[in-house]
Amino acid sequence: MSSGFRAMHPAVALLYYAGLLLFAALLMHPLFLITELVGVMLLLLLQGQGKQLLRGLPFYLLMAGSVALLNPLFSHRGAHILFYLWDQPVTLEAVLYGLIMMLVLLTIFMVFLSYNYTVTTDKFMYAFAAAAPKTALLTLMAIRFIPLFQRRLHEITMIQRFRGIDVSKGSLRKRMRDGMTLMKVLLTWSLEEALQTGDSMKARGYGIRRRTTYSTFVLDRLDTTALLLLVISGLIPLILWMLGYGTFEIYPRMRPLVFGGGEALMYTSFCLFVLIPAGLEGKEIWLWRSSRRKAYPSATPELNGTRSMSSPSQ
Amino acid sequence: MLMGPSGGGKTTLLRQLKRELTPVGTGSGIVRYAGLTLAGLPAERAAAEIGMVFQNPDAQIVMDTVWHELAFGMENLGYPPQVMRSRLAEMAGLFGLEPLLYKPVHELSGGQKQLLNLASVLLLQPKLLLLDEPTSQLDPVAAREFIQTLHRLNEEMSMTIIISEHRLEEVLPLADRVLLIENGVLKAACPPRELVSRAGEEQALAVQAYMPTAARLYLELPAQENSLSRPGFIPLTVREGRRWLHDYAAAASLGLPGSGVAGPACIPAAALVPGDDSEIMHPHKPDKKLPLLSAKEVTFRYEKEGREVLRKLNLTLYQGELLAVLGGNGAGKSTLLHVLSRMVKPQRGKVVAAPGITAGFLAQNPLLYFSYDTAREELQHMAAAARLAPDEAGREISRLAEVFELGQVLENHPHDLSGGQQQKLALAMVMLLKPAVLLLDEPTKGLDPAAKVRFAGLLALLRSQGMSIAVVTHDVEFAARYASRCALLFDGSITAEGSPEAFFSSNYFYTTAVNRMVRDLLPAALTIEDVMTAWHVYASR
Repeated sequence: MSSGFRAMHPAVALLYYAGLLLFAALLMHPLFLITELVGVMLLLLLQGQGKQLLRGLPFYLLMAGSVALLNPLFSHRGAHILFYLWDQPVTLEAVLYGLIMMLVLLTIFMVFLSYNYTVTTDKFMYAFAAAAPKTALLTLMAIRFIPLFQRRLHEITMIQRFRGIDVSKGSLRKRMRDGMTLMKVLLTWSLEEALQTGDSMKARGYGIRRRTTYSTFVLDRLDTTALLLLVISGLIPLILWMLGYGTFEIYPRMRPLVFGGGEALMYTSFCLFVLIPAGLEGKEIWLWRSSRRKAYPSATPELNGTRSMSSPSQ
Repeated sequence: MLMGPSGGGKTTLLRQLKRELTPVGTGSGIVRYAGLTLAGLPAERAAAEIGMVFQNPDAQIVMDTVWHELAFGMENLGYPPQVMRSRLAEMAGLFGLEPLLYKPVHELSGGQKQLLNLASVLLLQPKLLLLDEPTSQLDPVAAREFIQTLHRLNEEMSMTIIISEHRLEEVLPLADRVLLIENGVLKAACPPRELVSRAGEEQALAVQAYMPTAARLYLELPAQENSLSRPGFIPLTVREGRRWLHDYAAAASLGLPGSGVAGPACIPAAALVPGDDSEIMHPHKPDKKLPLLSAKEVTFRYEKEGREVLRKLNLTLYQGELLAVLGGNGAGKSTLLHVLSRMVKPQRGKVVAAPGITAGFLAQNPLLYFSYDTAREELQHMAAAARLAPDEAGREISRLAEVFELGQVLENHPHDLSGGQQQKLALAMVMLLKPAVLLLDEPTKGLDPAAKVRFAGLLALLRSQGMSIAVVTHDVEFAARYASRCALLFDGSITAEGSPEAFFSSNYFYTTAVNRMVRDLLPAALTIEDVMTAWHVYASR
């Protein structure tokens, strides 16, 4: 399925995910982190990735939870000592810091889950090609070779078994030697073909002049609007953060959370940034529902009773 | 159109015409393109206006998805995105590539890949198209489609096309001019019909092997003393051949004394004695047939949820026979050989071999077999793997080298051999295992007509030593000429089998060009030799 946020220009998606990662790393504020986490999970659910999310959740919780648990055990900084464990002080600051790190980790996991679904390889390569065209071309060619080599190696293995070259039988030494032989066959064969590939590239004018890139992605009005919104709503919290708003200081001594006017503006703008893609997905779903519910009004007046086109007129 | 035996310099000539690919070496003379010397042509014009498509469909693809491959050439020449977009749209429409646009390249069939290669060259809008045996790796249906596309380009856009080909049946009638190249020397350059009549006069057998069937039949049958033998009447296609033969038969029945009945029906089909003139074609079958290898209700699929490639297939291979298994693309022909050679295990059913029997398998790509530096080493290691004693191995290797004509090249690197020699070397390696059954996967792919005849001779020799051979092939002409039994693989099982005469004469389309031409007169005739025999029987009455 390719609609909603996933169907948009790669630049939109890349900007969004880069922003999310940046905020997850910068804003060590529980409110912002929880908002971001909820926002990304909402996007995942709207994209129909609920199953994927559930399958991975135990792992993510284990990883993130262990950070929350281990931090107070190893870090003893902070002024508020809760209790002593094996003669080691467990501080409130360390517990809180651990919990916040857990949130950060969970958020990053979720962001990557969503990123993997939204930004496919060719979208990434498209964005990448603008920055480093030569490397991008090389990477694309290499991508083609992976399944190709797999299939070839399978063929070679089958055939070479006739001459006793088999990696599944014999001593470790023999197996390793046989494995090398198989690789050698694969490489000589592939190099031979690579010569022809090179010819074919040269024949089509590779290296004559600077390459342009053909793209299947076009920036449309919705994309530009979304880009603009993302940039504005992302810049506001970033600037405010630099000015010192919305910070939550834990070490060396916890300061109370403040939530003033600056924070309110920052939070509103942040919410907008996080929820734009989810909003786009939601709109898509709503569009489909509504388009299915009511048919377009027809220009021809409807007659009474049902008529069928295929019924023979008598 | 360029033609001539492999290794005659066709590829070298084509590469001389494409500046980027001119081989390293010493040369003299000049090549001019549109008045300019090729070396003086601007790089961009040289790349765009002279397009080239090569033999191997896989090796010339650079990118991983279809649209990216199509765009590759245009990106190289730095076209603006708008131009690329409209050109690509147009070409995808012309070639019907739209549904494939976002597919990864490896999901395409060989024919589709070659069309993709052609399309990506055409996107640069070449004025001259060079093709180096573009259909040699394709099956007949895909090849015909490819050639039809070329014909369309030539007719509708008046594009100049230079093609080197072994598949003459389809290409020769379309060509305006034919260049015959042998050992680097231009032997002839004239329209195809003129070449046929010239070949007839000179009785040059080597050239005749390159003629389409209709033309060869025309040359073989004794010429008649009337308007029919004018050069303009030389038939090239099946349709022309058929019309000409009907006229010929009618004239013959009138002209010859002793034939009371007029019309073509007077050549009795029963008079056909299949292939008694050559030992290669149909060696005498052994009286009692000994089954060597049989598949019993074999069912096979590659993945658990996948399609059943073979479905309850029954097939038996008898001693001393040459079985040709035909079938469309993806019908499971290669899979059948894999199962028979026990490289893969079927999910249901079993493969039964007579006691003490081993099966040797020759894959389509001989490169799969080579892993050492010289042909001799390859054979020696294979002999060691087959547990032959050193002195016996030496004797066996020299014997095989003699039989397979490999003596000259034993010290060469296997990758430096020609395609035909590589195939022979791989076959020699398989023979060291002393198999009683030989399973060959598309052995005639990419061979020129002369090499095919030599290969068939080799198979006949092996058969005369009591070996039985199963060949999986697309090559109807080869199967009709040399097989002792033919089978059709369709929908996962063998749907028809029988002697070549019975098998092919019951088919309408899947049969030899000769049969399509003469089926009204001689329903059982499959090869030119069959027709000639019938003719001699008829003429001697």
